[in-house]
Amino acid sequence: MTDYVIETTNLSKRYSENLVVNSIDMHVEKGKIYGLLGKNGAGKTTTMCMLLNLVYPSGGEILLFGKDPKSHTKEVYSNIGSIIETPGFYENLTAYENLEIIAKLRGNYNPLNVKMVLEMVNLDHEKTKQFKDFSLGMKQRLGIAAAIMHNPELLILDEPINGLDPFGIKEIRGLLKKLSCEYGVTILISSHILSEIENIADVIGFMDNGVLIDEISREELHNRLNKFVEFEVSDIDLAVELLNKTGLKENVDYCFRRNLGEYIDDLDSNKNSDGMLIGGTIHLLSNLDLRDEFNSLFVSSGIKVRKVNLCEENLEEFFTRIISNT
Amino acid sequence: MLTFIKMEFLKLKRSKIFLLSILMAALPSVLMFIATFAFDETQSFDALFSTVNMYMSALFAILLFSIIISYLFGREYNEHTLKTMMTVPISRGKFLISKYVMFLIWILILTVVTSISTLAFGFVAGLSGFSLQLFINSFAELLFANILLFLTFSPFVFISLFITNMVPAMVGGATLTLVNLLVLGQSWAPYVPWACPYLISSGEIADYSVSMMIPYGVILATFIIGIAVSYIYFTKKDVPL
Repeated sequence: MTDYVIETTNLSKRYSENLVVNSIDMHVEKGKIYGLLGKNGAGKTTTMCMLLNLVYPSGGEILLFGKDPKSHTKEVYSNIGSIIETPGFYENLTAYENLEIIAKLRGNYNPLNVKMVLEMVNLDHEKTKQFKDFSLGMKQRLGIAAAIMHNPELLILDEPINGLDPFGIKEIRGLLKKLSCEYGVTILISSHILSEIENIADVIGFMDNGVLIDEISREELHNRLNKFVEFEVSDIDLAVELLNKTGLKENVDYCFRRNLGEYIDDLDSNKNSDGMLIGGTIHLLSNLDLRDEFNSLFVSSGIKVRKVNLCEENLEEFFTRIISNT
Repeated sequence: MLTFIKMEFLKLKRSKIFLLSILMAALPSVLMFIATFAFDETQSFDALFSTVNMYMSALFAILLFSIIISYLFGREYNEHTLKTMMTVPISRGKFLISKYVMFLIWILILTVVTSISTLAFGFVAGLSGFSLQLFINSFAELLFANILLFLTFSPFVFISLFITNMVPAMVGGATLTLVNLLVLGQSWAPYVPWACPYLISSGEIADYSVSMMIPYGVILATFIIGIAVSYIYFTKKDVPL
């Protein structure tokens, strides 16, 4: 039986007439990094807030560590670290003082631990700077420090890389991977930056308009990404005619587009009688194994083939496709 | 609870509002000190203490306490720290009560500041008639008035939770200060919650033809209604981000 750290059933949130989260069944396995992906306003933050008891669900159930958080509040939430949107800290206090407050309220204050975690996020040298003078990146790093300071078993991070520079993003990504791999920390991370989720997540949940459209593991995602072969040819009309003769159907087995302008000049392509360029790109959607034979067919018919690529749909294209299918 | 209170004090580190509240608590005695010379107002410690206590508990404190309570609750919203506190986790009821207790402690500190500053300015002005007993009685009177006022401020907790900006609480405080100015001396003053503390502590309530149960009942009812509404609102409402 799979050990889920987060499990929701029909989880919903309604603000008057507006259903912002609609019957979500989410499953986050222990030790995995679960990326929640969706556009702004998809319902990611509201879902996370409901998990953290900041927002009360309008319906449905939540189980955290297999327990109902309503009846095991202290036990469950002491084991969770979180960042929701921009981290909130006391503006007149330093990073250390802010963490001291949180640690003491949690009942596990240890000065060495606070120093260590500040070191991890590169804030240990900011001894006197008050939070109000922090840059967005520093605030975000302090938020991450507060979230991991008590060695939680679950991290719920809403857009944690917002405001970080590329170096900071790389560092935090490395830290989260380390926490997951070496310490078995389960991480639920949301983002609207697809590449970030793609880089880090073991499982991706796709959200749109309050609905969790799909939950896909990284392996499964690879299998479900559409693949195609791209041919860049010097005579698009002839190439299409040849494909039709082999029995392939436009928009089913292949699609194409004509290239216009200087791009085709590079291909040294022909022009038609009106002087229009007739080079172009063909995407072969089926019979991918026969790409060598199609290539030979084009070449033997006098078509110059500039490029043959076996391509895979990227996460952005996949995301757009599954959203448009719902 | 004790840890929470300690952390509330740490939150006030480098906070200008704490210093400002100390200065405001000393303001009635400063004004009376100036009046002693400018208008030859007060001649004795007895008169100074009773005048300062009246200005403080019937007027200044209303405005000052409304600022403090809205700061205590409002800053958690304005600095987006409420979500951080709630995910520690802290129970909402405990959070509410701890903040309200912190408000009481703050009031006690200000009471001490007012009394000590009155004493100091009295000596600087060279007033006559000082005795330790007089000081203790005056302090006890102000303390009692401020504790009763503390109870009447529970509706301000709700206001601070409902409108997290400090301005509405300040406007409310200023309005109640004016209300107190208008009602003191009127027959229905014992029915105004924020006028009762001064009337009870100063003994002026005896001049009104009402039972002592009335002002105490009004204060208690205000406290219970304010706390109940605040608790229900805070525990049922989603935490804003």
